[in-house]
Amino acid sequence: MNLSDSKKKLALAGVICGVVAACLAWFGNPANMAFCIACFIRDTAGALGLHSAETVQYARPEIIGLVLGAFIISVATKEYRSTAGSSPMVRFVLGMILAIGSLVFLGCPLRMIIRMSAGDLNAWVALIGFILGVGTGVFALKKGFSLGRAHLTNRVSGGILPALMLGVLILALGTSLLKSSTSGPGSMHAPILLSLAGGLIFGAVAQKSRMCFAGSIRDVILMRNFDLLTIIGGFFVVMLIFNIATGRFVPAFDTPGVIAHSEHLWNILGMYAVGFAAVLAGGCPLRQLILAGQGSSDSAVTVLGMFAGAAAAHNFGLAASGTALDTETQELVAGTVPMNGKVAVILCIIVCFVIAFMNKRSEGK
Amino acid sequence: MRKKELKLVVTFHTTADAMAMEKVCGEKKVPGRLIPVPRSISAGCGLSWCAPLDAREHILEVMKETSIEEEALHECMV
Repeated sequence: MNLSDSKKKLALAGVICGVVAACLAWFGNPANMAFCIACFIRDTAGALGLHSAETVQYARPEIIGLVLGAFIISVATKEYRSTAGSSPMVRFVLGMILAIGSLVFLGCPLRMIIRMSAGDLNAWVALIGFILGVGTGVFALKKGFSLGRAHLTNRVSGGILPALMLGVLILALGTSLLKSSTSGPGSMHAPILLSLAGGLIFGAVAQKSRMCFAGSIRDVILMRNFDLLTIIGGFFVVMLIFNIATGRFVPAFDTPGVIAHSEHLWNILGMYAVGFAAVLAGGCPLRQLILAGQGSSDSAVTVLGMFAGAAAAHNFGLAASGTALDTETQELVAGTVPMNGKVAVILCIIVCFVIAFMNKRSEGK
Repeated sequence: MRKKELKLVVTFHTTADAMAMEKVCGEKKVPGRLIPVPRSISAGCGLSWCAPLDAREHILEVMKETSIEEEALHECMV
């Protein structure tokens, strides 16, 4: 089925992904985190022992499903292309920035939309930063930014990340080697097979529709093209209806228990770094997983960078904490961004500028 | 709604090449506009140059002059 030859079909793609996310939230994924790429990569990194934050360790089948779903549909429809060679180490760093910026805000662009649909005003504030970040990336593109072209490579290369994901799935299903949280967000999840099915469907639809949160805003700024934004619109509407219908819609800043904080400057700067890095890397965290699934080793390296960034965020105390209720006093404890996290976001933004203006098209010639 | 027409679509190896194409075409008054690569052409999310079919020779000439290398030229409904 062609999901991209009309705006209605693009909106339908967003609706399908929204239904998948709503189902996963209904069946046990954390409140307001139905389907978050950065959080789920962070959880999976924890399951693999890359960090030791005990509350966020779980091999999320959604991440595995996204990559495998994109891989299977691209092979089935003859769109699988094994490519590599476009500044892989720069992309690794951009992947780290995507993860660190997201974990300071507490969510990737996908979760930002989910949080917005649940009335979390902090996410609406962060949207400002995300748009500014994408805008800065577009400015860099106009100034000739380029990481160089990718080349066709051995077919096996593009299949390595899907194979590794399959390996993680086998370890998760068949062994007790992986770590798994017994409390906190990592302990909250939909049944494994449902999560996997959700990931596969989401991955396949995202591959067919080219769903991308950074790309949607980039296309509006650059070409006044609203195709990709239509998908996001469909997704948002479904999540909004779901949240209102299930009583999860709370229009406020300091809502306890939804894993969010109200440090506005750092919500803006965290998502600024994510928007900026996403344009430089050629796609948001979700899009990186999809591109990796359809054969891009460059995106696979970006995904590995996201794993490294997520691990660093918890190993070095960069990740923010969410607003919560003190269980004893019932007082509201505001979520915060630690000093290390603030320094890291500033460094991430500086690195984005260095990458954006040191990698020019003419230099590669 | 705008009616779709058969157009010439030039794809590039990098987004930077597409941006360079837009700049050059603006300077040399070459017809066309930047669009996302049509989904029927690619699963990628890059940019392409969309122009009337009869501008093909003019576009190829300008690309040769400015050393902008195309990935491919397509004719498709846009």
